[in-house]
Amino acid sequence: MSGTEHWHPAALSGGLEPGRSAGTRLFDREFCIWRDTGGVAHAWEDRCPHRGMRLSFGFVRGDRIACLYHGWQYDEKGQCRLIPAHPTLDVPPTICVTTFPCVERLGVLWIYPHHMVEAPPDLPVAERDVSPVRSLYIDCAPAAVLRALTAHAQDIGPPGVPLLSFASVADQPIAAVQPFGAAKTALHIVVPGALRTQRPGARRQTAEWAEELRHDLEQTLSPGELPSTVCGNSTWPS
Amino acid sequence: MAELMLHDYELDEQCYKVRLLLGVLARRYRRVSVDVYPGREQCGARYLRLNPLGALPILTEGEFVLYGAEAILAYLARKYDPSRSWLPDEPALFGEVAQWLAFAGIELRAASLARLRALLETGTGDSDNVGAARRAFRLMDDHMTKRELDDARWFVGNAATIADIAMFPAIALSRDFGVDHDEYPALRRWMANVRTIPGFATMPGIPAYH
Repeated sequence: MSGTEHWHPAALSGGLEPGRSAGTRLFDREFCIWRDTGGVAHAWEDRCPHRGMRLSFGFVRGDRIACLYHGWQYDEKGQCRLIPAHPTLDVPPTICVTTFPCVERLGVLWIYPHHMVEAPPDLPVAERDVSPVRSLYIDCAPAAVLRALTAHAQDIGPPGVPLLSFASVADQPIAAVQPFGAAKTALHIVVPGALRTQRPGARRQTAEWAEELRHDLEQTLSPGELPSTVCGNSTWPS
Repeated sequence: MAELMLHDYELDEQCYKVRLLLGVLARRYRRVSVDVYPGREQCGARYLRLNPLGALPILTEGEFVLYGAEAILAYLARKYDPSRSWLPDEPALFGEVAQWLAFAGIELRAASLARLRALLETGTGDSDNVGAARRAFRLMDDHMTKRELDDARWFVGNAATIADIAMFPAIALSRDFGVDHDEYPALRRWMANVRTIPGFATMPGIPAYH
């Protein structure tokens, strides 16, 4: 995964409610994103250490997430705290899930998918008021989508973090680009300005524009246009 | 009063739709388990008299016989929902519910077939049905995305209808045939809402909580 030591968008913040979990991918690697009932978002490896079940299938209780299979509970640091079949057991500290840095900026949840670092670098994206529109999943290679879109949009993101501003489209949507997998790209789309400043129907209209954008991209780019090795490395901007 | 009887197979998502509605309507009924697999009892002479298509669910109430999940949902809602909320009378809402019932019967059939193939056979690719199911799920997610932007939580109108019941099992069980929910965020939130309906019933593959 050289060329990928960057923050990557994974969801719209507002779409992940307190007490909920969801699965997502970066370069075809599975992540569990979940928000505890206190509102803090977490991004973890999507595997329960017990049987390898995806933790995103599990359920959130307070500041813990529990695996759907056997109910093993993990605290916000990824440490297993409870094994229901052995309720009195003091769980060994070696039973833990790999966690990743996770921040919320511009109405988007971002993951830094590297756990070898002490502290992650700051996500160099300035906070501003935005309103969420939708996440859009496109059956095309991320590098191909990016190449096609930069003809119509300005990349206002820092190096390696594509953030596309569609200034010529009504309500000027901004899209954070998620390299989901070899043949799948997600765009997390917001419009500038707080919710109360949006004209009625603006977000719905932008959602309809997004559907057309997905249609056009999938018609023009074939899913297998680029071999899978490309999206993880050289063609993804670094 | 004639007894309400559902001829049922636990793993059949079409039967589950009916169990789900009977649960939320808090309607008592007798459940008759049919040996679909491996017995193919629904294709035997006794069941072909009730449904010549050789499929479940089949609802009987005295002499009255009805087959097909969507038809049964409509019948039960009309007869046993005094609030008229599960199948609204208002023409536009009624029409929209009918539209999604047809969608569940036609567009989501591929999901049913893909799941049956995955559960009952092994090692056979079924990419056509999986692809068709994914196209249907995407349309549903697009719909619910726009509904959320209009501050709505259900497929039609301001309350849950039999459209929500009919649409729910295919996506809730899609992991059975290898389709994750990762790319359907609006459906994920809607499924969480469906689980909160009082009387919600589970089936294998669909836990109550999330």
